[in-house]
Amino acid sequence: MVIKGTTVGTLTRVDGTYSLRASVGQVLQFRFIGTAPEERTVGAADVINVTLRRVATQLDAMVVTALGQTAQLRTLGTAQQTVDGAAISETQRQNFVNALQGRVAGVEVTSSSGVPGASSSITIRGVSSISSSNQPLMIVDGLPLDNKTLNTGVLASDAPGSLTAFSNRGVDFTNRAADLNPDDIESLTVLKGPEASALYGIDAANGAIVITTKRGRAGTGGFEYSTSLKMESTREQPELQRVYGPTTISGSALGSFQYFGAPYAPGTTFYNNIDGFFRTALTQRHNLSFSGAAQDNRINYRVAMSADKQEGVVPNADYSRVNLTGASQSQVNSWLRADLSMQYALANNNQAYKGDNGPLIGLLLWPQTDNAKDWLTPAGNRRRITNLAASGEVDNPYFNVEKNRINSKNSRLIANLGLIATPVSWANVKSNIGMDTYTNENLILRHPESAYGNTYNGVLDEANDVVRNLTAQTLVNFEPYNITSELSINGLIGNQVSDFKSTTAALKGQDFLDPNFVSINNTNLRTNRTTIAQRRLVSVFGSATLNWRDYLYLTGTLRNDWTSTIPTERNSFMYPSVSGSFVFSDAFPAIKNFMTGRLRAGYAEVGKDARPYAYRPSLEYKTTSYGGYGYGFTGPNLGLKPEFARSYEFGTELGFLKDRLGLDVTWYRKQTKDQIVNDIRGSYATGFILFNLNGAVTRNEGWEVTLRGTPIENRLLAWDVQANFDRSRGKVLALPNALPESYVSDTWLFGNVRNGTKPGLSTRSLTGLFYLRNNKGDLLIDPTSGLPLRSTTFIDGGYDRQPDFTVGITNTLRHRNWSLNFLVDLRKGGDVLNATEQYLTARGLSTRTLDRDKPRVIKGVLRDGKENSATPTQNNIVVIPAMQTLYYTNISEELFIEKDINWLRLRDVTLRYQLPRRFLKTRDASVFVTGTDLLLITNYSGLDPIVNGNTAAVGGSGAAGIDYGNFPMPRGYTFGLKVAF
Amino acid sequence: MTKNIRLGACAALLAMSAGCKDFLDVNDNPNAPQVVSANLYLAPMLHWMVTSPQYDGRFVGRYTQEWMLAFGTTTLTTWDRMGYDPSSDNGAQQWRDVYWTLGQNLVDMMNKAEAEQRWDLLGVGYVLKAWGWQVTTDLHGEIIVKEAIDQSKFTFNYDTQEYAYQEIQRLLDKAIELLQKSDGAVDAAYLGRTDKIYNGDRTKWLKLAYGMKAMNLNHYSNKASYKPAEVIANVDKSLASNADDPLLTYPNTQNDDINFWGRTRGNIQTSSTGYRQTQFVVNLMNGTHTGGVVDPRMSRMLAPSPDGQYRGLDINVAGMGAFSAAQQPMNFHGYVGTGGLQQKGRYIFDDKAKLPVITYAQLQFIKAEAAYRMGDKATAYAAYKNGISAHIDWVNARNNDNGQTPTQITSAEKAAYMAAPSIVPASPSGLTLTHIMTQKYIAQWGWGHNELWMDMRRYHYTDVDPATGEQVYPGFAPPTNLYPDNGGKVVQRIRPRYNSEYVWNRAGLEVIGGLALDYHTKPMWIIEP
Repeated sequence: MVIKGTTVGTLTRVDGTYSLRASVGQVLQFRFIGTAPEERTVGAADVINVTLRRVATQLDAMVVTALGQTAQLRTLGTAQQTVDGAAISETQRQNFVNALQGRVAGVEVTSSSGVPGASSSITIRGVSSISSSNQPLMIVDGLPLDNKTLNTGVLASDAPGSLTAFSNRGVDFTNRAADLNPDDIESLTVLKGPEASALYGIDAANGAIVITTKRGRAGTGGFEYSTSLKMESTREQPELQRVYGPTTISGSALGSFQYFGAPYAPGTTFYNNIDGFFRTALTQRHNLSFSGAAQDNRINYRVAMSADKQEGVVPNADYSRVNLTGASQSQVNSWLRADLSMQYALANNNQAYKGDNGPLIGLLLWPQTDNAKDWLTPAGNRRRITNLAASGEVDNPYFNVEKNRINSKNSRLIANLGLIATPVSWANVKSNIGMDTYTNENLILRHPESAYGNTYNGVLDEANDVVRNLTAQTLVNFEPYNITSELSINGLIGNQVSDFKSTTAALKGQDFLDPNFVSINNTNLRTNRTTIAQRRLVSVFGSATLNWRDYLYLTGTLRNDWTSTIPTERNSFMYPSVSGSFVFSDAFPAIKNFMTGRLRAGYAEVGKDARPYAYRPSLEYKTTSYGGYGYGFTGPNLGLKPEFARSYEFGTELGFLKDRLGLDVTWYRKQTKDQIVNDIRGSYATGFILFNLNGAVTRNEGWEVTLRGTPIENRLLAWDVQANFDRSRGKVLALPNALPESYVSDTWLFGNVRNGTKPGLSTRSLTGLFYLRNNKGDLLIDPTSGLPLRSTTFIDGGYDRQPDFTVGITNTLRHRNWSLNFLVDLRKGGDVLNATEQYLTARGLSTRTLDRDKPRVIKGVLRDGKENSATPTQNNIVVIPAMQTLYYTNISEELFIEKDINWLRLRDVTLRYQLPRRFLKTRDASVFVTGTDLLLITNYSGLDPIVNGNTAAVGGSGAAGIDYGNFPMPRGYTFGLKVAF
Repeated sequence: MTKNIRLGACAALLAMSAGCKDFLDVNDNPNAPQVVSANLYLAPMLHWMVTSPQYDGRFVGRYTQEWMLAFGTTTLTTWDRMGYDPSSDNGAQQWRDVYWTLGQNLVDMMNKAEAEQRWDLLGVGYVLKAWGWQVTTDLHGEIIVKEAIDQSKFTFNYDTQEYAYQEIQRLLDKAIELLQKSDGAVDAAYLGRTDKIYNGDRTKWLKLAYGMKAMNLNHYSNKASYKPAEVIANVDKSLASNADDPLLTYPNTQNDDINFWGRTRGNIQTSSTGYRQTQFVVNLMNGTHTGGVVDPRMSRMLAPSPDGQYRGLDINVAGMGAFSAAQQPMNFHGYVGTGGLQQKGRYIFDDKAKLPVITYAQLQFIKAEAAYRMGDKATAYAAYKNGISAHIDWVNARNNDNGQTPTQITSAEKAAYMAAPSIVPASPSGLTLTHIMTQKYIAQWGWGHNELWMDMRRYHYTDVDPATGEQVYPGFAPPTNLYPDNGGKVVQRIRPRYNSEYVWNRAGLEVIGGLALDYHTKPMWIIEP
C-alpha cells in the first residue's frame, strides 16, 4: 500500500494490520496481487479498515508486467501468465526452469538429460530462429539474468582445426539461471510475445520471464526452515538380445562390438551389467530464511540460505548448490525509497559424458558375457577385452564414470540496487543499477587410458569463464492523468544501458605423465586460448496507456535500441507496439450478470541484433608449419542489419459462474524477416566456408488456451484445476540467398541426420541421407544387393520434431489440513530420433535383429532405369540379414525416426499436511511428500522422448529430439518438512 | 544514494549523447586481429601448398596405382576401383585450400604487398595464385576462376579449363616479372620471416615460377598448339639442381605441422586400415620391365615384407590377397601392421621428412619428354640422365632428413644402375617415352600425385609408345571391377568438393554437367587433341 503520488508505502503484517504516517487528504492505495485495488482518502480517523476483495474476476487482479511494473490484468492487451513461486519450489526441482513445463501455455522446456545439473532450454511460442538462441530473456527484479549454458566453442579443445573438439556433443553444463534458489522466487511471470516484451527490447524477442524475488514483510517476521530428502531411481532400462554372440572373437578377445556371430552356446553365463550400474540417488535440501520488517515498516529485510546436494542415478554425477540471499527495502525519506538485494550462489556439478563416448553406450555395447563391474586390471589399469586399438574399444561404463570427468564450479554474485524517487506528485523515477557476475570454472577430463583420450594420452580441458554483466535502467512513471472524466492517460519513459562481457581463459593439456593426476601441470603438450565476447546495448523507450471509462484500454510503446554488434550505420533501430483491451462485460453491464470477459489485440515489432563480431571476419592464428595468420571459416558481411519480427495476437478472457470457470484463448502469428542465420554454408568459391547472413524468413503461429476452474469449493473440499493447451507451428519461408538448406552443425551428432531445414519445412525439421524413392514413393532398391538406396545429399523426409499440441493440467485439492497438487503433462505428436536403437541395431544388439536369419524381400522397386516408368521392376531379391549385415549396418537413420510421439507424464505431485496450529509452538508447520516424474506413458520405444543430443547452448532447434546415449529423467520421491517460528 | 542517482542520470544522458557511439564501439574482435602485416599471411599458405596435395594423394594415388587401401579391408574401396565417395569431401582438400586457405588471405596479402611495393612478396603471391588454379583444374577440370573469392555471390559459374590454363600462364608471367625486380620494398628478411621454403630468396621463387610454367605448358602435349621448345626454355630458367628444390621442413611441434605421411599423423596407416604398395609400382623397380635391373631406390622408397622381399598387391584383389603374413608388404614406415609409432620411418613416410612443391628431377623429365617429342633426342637423353641422377640423390637426401632406416644409395649402386642399358640406353637414339615416363613416375611416386596423374591421363593410362609398341606405363591396367557409376570408363577427374559445390552450388555444376553420376569419367580439355 502506498500514499498515492508518493513512494511512501508499507506492507501489511500477516494479520492484516498496518500503520503508516499520512496527512489528511492524501489518498491511500491498497494493492495486493490477486485482489482488486482499493483507494481511501485519509480523513480524521486514525484507523482505516479496508477489505480487499479476492477479485471477483481474474480481470481485476494485479499482475506483474514488463519492466517489473504492476498493473491490473484488464488493462493489458497482450498475453501473459503468472506462476506462483510456491508452486515452483514445491516441485523440489533444483533447476526452476524444469518446473515450468505444463504450467504456462506456450512454454516448452527441454532438459538435455536426466543427469544432475543438465542444461535445460526453454522456448516460448516455438522455435523461430534457425540458428540463434530461441530462449527468452530472464529478468530478476527488473534487471537481466544471464542464462548462458557454456558453449564448448570457447574450449581450447574446440579451437579451429583441433582434433579434440566437442562441438557441444557428449558434454553438458548447467544453464546458469539454475543458480537461482527456487525458494527465493516470489512469483514468475511469462510475457509470451514480442508485444509484451517490446519494452524489454531486442533480448526479449523470444519473450521474457520476469521473476520477482521475495522481500520481508511486517508481521511475518521470523525464521522459516524447510528440509527435504529426495530419492531418485531410473525408470526403465533398455533391452538387449541374448541370442547371437560377437561377430569376431579370437581367444577371449573380441574383434569388434558387432554381434552378428554364431548363437551363444547353451549354458553361456550372462551378466546383467546394466543392473547395478545405476544407483538410488539421494538429494538433500535445506532452506533457512529470516525475514521481517521494522515496526514502522520503514525498513524490511529478508535473508535466506539454502543448501542443496543432489546425487545422480549415474554414479559420480552430482550437483550441489549453496545460496545466500539478502534483500532489504527502506523508506529513506518522504520522497525516496531504496531496494537493495544481493544473491550469492555457489554451485558444483559433476556430470557423466553422453552420446558416443558416454557410459550409456558403453553399458549397452559391453558384452553380456563379461562382467563389466570388473573394470580394472590387478595393476590398476583399464581392463581391455578386445584386440582393437585402445581408442577403438568402447570404455567400460564403470571405468568411464570413474575416470572421465566433467566438472563445473560456479561462483556468482547478483546485486541490484533500486531507488524510487517521487520528486513530484504526478511522476516517480525508478532507477536500478545491477550487476550479474560469475566465475565459471570447468574441468573436462578424457583419461589417458580411456577410449576418448587414449589417442592423445589423455586430454584435459580447463576453461574459466568470467562473466560481468552490468545494467542500469531508469524509468519515469507518470501517474494517471484525467483528460476528461472518462478518459485518462498514464505512461512511462525510460532508458537502459547494458554492458555484457564474458572472458574465457581456456587451457588444454595432452599427453599425461602420471595417468591419474589431474592437472595441466601433469601434461606434456599444452595449448591455451582466450575468448572475449562483449556486447553493449543502449535503449530508450516509452509507453502510454489510454483508459476510457475503465473498460477500454489502449497502450502504445516505442523503443529505440543501439547495439554494438551491428555495423554503426545500421545499429540504431526503432520499433513500436500497440495493444488494446476491451472489457466488454463492463461496457455492457447486462452481460456481467452471467459472465465477465474482455477482448485483447496487439501488434508489435521487435528488432534483434547479431552475436558479437559477426560481420567482420577475423584472422586466426594457424597451427600449421611456422604459424602465421589466416581467416577463420566465417566470411564477412558488412551489410549485416538487425532482423525484425512482426507479430499480431488476438485473445479473449472469459469468466463464468462468478469466475469459478475461466477461459483464456490467444491466437498469435509472428513473422521474422531478415533473420540472421549464423554459420550458414556456401560455396567455398566465396573464399570462406560459413556466413552470418540476413535473409531467412520464418513464421510462427499458434493457439494458447488456458481453462481454469474450481469444480468444488466447500468447507470440506476445494478443487482448483487449470489446463494449459498450446499449439505452436514454426515454419521456414525463406533462407538467405535461396540457399538450399540451413543446419546447425553441432546437431549433426549421429550418423547422417541433422537439424537441417529448408523453405517450406518446419523450423524443427530433420534432414538426412534418407532412402531414395521413385515418383510413386516406392523405395529404390539396389539391383546388385537387394538393399534400399540412400540419398547422397541431405534431403527432407517429412520429419518434424514439433508437437501437434501440448497440454499441462495442474490440480490443487484441499481438504482440511491436507492439500494435494499435481501436474499432468501431455504431448501429442512430434518426431523423435531413437539413435541409440539404431546404434544397437547396426551392432546386432537390438532385439529387432533377432529375426536375422529370416529371408525377406524389401518392398520397393529396382533402380534399373525403369523405376520412374509406368511399370517399374518390383524388387524380388531375397536378403538374409545374417548373411548380409549391410542390411543392419547401412540402415538409414530414417527408420529410427519415430513419428508422432505422444506422452502423458505425471510431472510433479505433492501431498502436504498442515500440522495443527501451535504444534511444536511453531507459527506454521507442514510435512509433505513430492513425487517427480513418477509416471510416463508414451509410444516412444526409447527411454525418454525428452532429450537433447547437444546442450542448451546450441541455437536454432538444436538437437532436441535426438536421443543418442542419453540418460533419461529419473523418478524421484521427496519427503520434507517445513516449519516457521 | 545521490551518487547512484547521478549514475542513473549519466546513463540516461549517455544514451542520448554522442558518447553513445564510443560506448558501442566494442565490436572489434579482441580475440583475433582483422588485418596483419602482409608476410604473416604467408606461412599457412605455404604449408598447405606442400601439404594439401598429399591429402588428396591418398585418393589420387589409388587411381595411379601408387598404392591401394589394403590393410584392414575386406572389399575393394571406391577409389581403388577408380570411383569416388559420394557425399564426401575426400579428394577435395586442394579445393578447400585453394578457395579458403589461400582465398581471401591471398587476395589481402597481395593487395597489401602491392600497396607497400613488396614486389618479392607480391611475386610469391602470384606463384601461389597460379599454383592454386593449376592443381584444382588438373584435379577437377572446369573450376571457378573469374568469379572466385567474392563474398557477395552465392552461385558461381565455372570457367573452362582452357581459360584456367591461360590464366595460370598470365599469373606466372606476372610473377616472373615481379620476382626479377629489386626496387621498391623488396626485402629478403621480411619475406624470409615467414617463407621457410626459400627463406626469402626471390631468385629461387623466380626459378619456381619458371618451373611451374614449364609444367603447365607441357600438359598441352596432346594438342597441336604444344610448344616443346617453350617448355624447354622455361625448364632451363628453372631449378638448376636439387639445391633449388622448394622443400618444406615440418617443425613437428603439434599435429598440424608434422609431415602428412608421418606415422604420428596416421594418415597412410591408421589404427585400423593402411595403404600398401601395388604390384605395378614394384614391377617398375624390381627389374620386371628392365631386364632384371633392380632399381637401388626400391629398397629405399618402398616397404619390404617381413621376409625381406619387395612385393606389391594386386589392385583387383581386396585386402592383402593370398600373401602369407611373412609375404605381406609392411606399411610404408617399414613396420608390420599398425607398427611404427614413435619410430623412424622410411623415405618421405616419416614425421620429419621434407616434402617438395616440385623438384628439379621432375622438371628434367619434363624437359626430356618435350625434347623427345620435338625430336631432339640428345637434349632429351641428357635431361633424362639428369633426372635419374638427381632423384637418386634426392632419395638419399630424404632418407637423411630424420636419419630414417633405409641405408644411403652408394655411388657404386647409382653408377651401376645408370650404366645399365635397360635403364639408360647407350645412346640418345635408344631413349623411349617409356623410359622417360616410368622414371618420372618413380621420381614422383609417393608425393607428386597431381603431376603423376596428369601424366597418366595424358597417355590415357595405357597408351602405347608408337616407336616401340610398348606401353608408356608398362604393366599398367585399369581395375577390372570399375566403380558402378563409371559405366565402364576410366577415371579422368575428381568431382568438385562435395560440401562446397554439390550442396551449395548445384546451379553452377548443372551447367558443366557436373551432376552426372559419371562426371568423374569425363575427359578434360587439356588432354584432348
